[in-house]
Amino acid sequence: MRRRNWIALAAGIAASTVVATTAVQAEELYIPNLSYRTGPFAATGTPLMNGQRDYIEMLNSRDGGVNGVKLGYDECETGYNTNKGVECYEKTKGKAIVTQPWSTGITLQVLPRTNVDKIPILAPGYGFSPMSDGSVFQWGFNPPASYWDAASMILKHISGGDLDSLKGQKVALLHLDHPYGKEPLPLLSAMSEKHGFKLLPIPVGLKEMQNQSAQWLQIRRERPDWVIMWGWGAMNTGALTEAVKTRFPMEKFVGVWWSGHDNDMRVVGDKGKGYKSISWNVPGDYPVMADVKKHVIDAGKSLLADPADANTVFYQRGLVISMILVEGIKAAQAHFDSKIINAEQLRWGLENLNVDEAKLKELGMGGMTVPFSTSCSNHTGHGGGWMLEWDGTKFVQASDHLTPDRAAIEPLEAAKAKEYAENNKPWPVTACNG
Amino acid sequence: MFYRTAGQFKTTYSADQALYPIRQDAILLGIVLAVAYVILPMVASEFAFRALLVPVLIYALAALGLNILTGFAGQLSLGTGAFMGVGAYACYKLTTIFPEMNIVIALFLSGFFSAAVGVAFGLPSLRIKGFYLAIATLAAQFFLVWLFEKAGWLYNYNASGAIEVRTLDLFGLTVTGPTATPVTQYYFVLVTVTVITLLTINLTRGRYGRTWKAVRDMDIAAELVGINLMRAKLTAFAVSSYIVGIAGALLVFFFKGAAEPNLFDIELSFLILFIAIIGGLGSILGNFLGAILIVALPVILNVIPDALGIPVSSATFEHINDMIIGALIVTILIVEPHGLARFWAVIREKLIIWPFPH
Repeated sequence: MRRRNWIALAAGIAASTVVATTAVQAEELYIPNLSYRTGPFAATGTPLMNGQRDYIEMLNSRDGGVNGVKLGYDECETGYNTNKGVECYEKTKGKAIVTQPWSTGITLQVLPRTNVDKIPILAPGYGFSPMSDGSVFQWGFNPPASYWDAASMILKHISGGDLDSLKGQKVALLHLDHPYGKEPLPLLSAMSEKHGFKLLPIPVGLKEMQNQSAQWLQIRRERPDWVIMWGWGAMNTGALTEAVKTRFPMEKFVGVWWSGHDNDMRVVGDKGKGYKSISWNVPGDYPVMADVKKHVIDAGKSLLADPADANTVFYQRGLVISMILVEGIKAAQAHFDSKIINAEQLRWGLENLNVDEAKLKELGMGGMTVPFSTSCSNHTGHGGGWMLEWDGTKFVQASDHLTPDRAAIEPLEAAKAKEYAENNKPWPVTACNG
Repeated sequence: MFYRTAGQFKTTYSADQALYPIRQDAILLGIVLAVAYVILPMVASEFAFRALLVPVLIYALAALGLNILTGFAGQLSLGTGAFMGVGAYACYKLTTIFPEMNIVIALFLSGFFSAAVGVAFGLPSLRIKGFYLAIATLAAQFFLVWLFEKAGWLYNYNASGAIEVRTLDLFGLTVTGPTATPVTQYYFVLVTVTVITLLTINLTRGRYGRTWKAVRDMDIAAELVGINLMRAKLTAFAVSSYIVGIAGALLVFFFKGAAEPNLFDIELSFLILFIAIIGGLGSILGNFLGAILIVALPVILNVIPDALGIPVSSATFEHINDMIIGALIVTILIVEPHGLARFWAVIREKLIIWPFPH
């Protein structure tokens, strides 16, 4: 009897293996996501992953996928750990048409390999700012805006559009002491020299994220006119609570788009009123949200803990990120006239994105995110963004559409991209026509 | 029956002192080497090379380095991660300052930098020991990682603050960088690890190994019989850091391809220490067994639900995986506190006397 049980179990396992392999062989586009729902940054990762997942679920159940092909969304858990990130990349790259590394560290490690493996990296709004230069980073994409775009837009907003008005002022950059946090430094220091304001970089170590009393003591002593924050995860909450404690005026406190997370703000609640963060999506009640609600959340297919969280900035940003990927797939399908596309074809699709106002309306996302378009030489799109402001309970739009000062950024991007290619010789560089 | 030592007579001292005096041990080693050098490269997939084999070898080498210090010389260290970082940064600087330099030379030179740093931070061991020394090496851990972050020269003022590996050739074969094939990288790491392991085995059997063990077991007695404590401790720090540094350089150049400073954070030190403890302190084989358990097993477990088609979300399985590995570690430490190497020794003894139990 006992032996029979074992045989039954073995047969069951064998059968399910067969089923699993045939399921993969069925016509679908495999789009894995290197997620982090565990580890120190899980609190910010989870809503983003939920959004990404739910948009794909919605398309699969509403339209049966894209142009009749199911989307095989899958997660490989990294816990924001680069070791596991590399493991996941190797595990998924065989049949995947895209890789979404979700961490600056993993992006840096995967970036050189994608050239050889010929698989596009989609890193919306993160990664390396010079990645915008498509002639050097042929496989890297960071639409709709880069970190340098963000820094430029923040400066534009706090100066009221005229950067020279910042002359003589002091701008502190409270940043994570990590490749991600250091990203805006080259641009901000170039701008401070050009426009005569004083830049005060204040690093926060990974270990002191939650305890920033030293940094805020420095801020109180230096009395900067503005504090710009490049924080992530627990660092945001730490900074906000310290800012409240030291009574720093919230109107003078501006974060990058990863520092505008509803859950971080809930900790300070009403006292955080006036805090701003740049963003390329505005949370709200868009037509697409009705579809997500109907097909995914109400159908019980979502992983959201509370359906009300569907109105948060990060969840909806997850939807936008998946939308960008799906638009790339659509573009590639149309161009190559084939429902099943491979990684190289998707790269063409991501390089020829044209997400304009009309397209966003058609998707039910009008006003939800910035319109942008990419090309061979422009892998970012530079769609700009909006300022969001915390009103005590939620983020609301607080500015018109802002655009980065591309004229000031472009030479810097080209120089840094060239430097990267030289440091990583032999690095393939192609010429782009437009 | 399987491990019968009867009939294996030693007629010379050198035969008696051979590395593997029992024939079956030599055969077993031969099989392991044949699997590693011939069979695995033929059957392994790219994923197996990049996520399993290469990291296991590199982490085993790092644990081997730590084991010399902690297992053989009895000096507790929590700075292994940072010493690996010194090796990696030294190798990075060497290959960028002298682009023509052979990677093998750069690799073995970079070990000297970490050896020097290791000795410098090992100096307190002359006055303090045990937990107090652990705190001193912890200072090295924090200081060095801070230095990797702050000193722009170390990462060539790279905008991302990370070190990135260039493509390097060896005898016309690309060994580092994205274009290197996984098999080439695997062979390079395998040969390096084999050579260092062989040297270490002999070193620990020889004069230095004996003085280290004497210091470990009772330093006052060792001093009384004429062992120079200072020399014994500092050589242990130097040799240990040298190997750890090479492991660090291998980690970045042959596994990761790029590294941020916080890669060499205290978690890495703990990981290496766990491998050494689970494998067995004071053993060479244990490092490899420990690395297989701690580095490879989670990766293998992660593949199982997919292979069996069990619908578990990746994040959930990550938690389950942690629980399985944690339970295994606790069980092993309860059943055999001396680690996996001791496990093997017990099995081996049983096989030798089989079928006659004591």
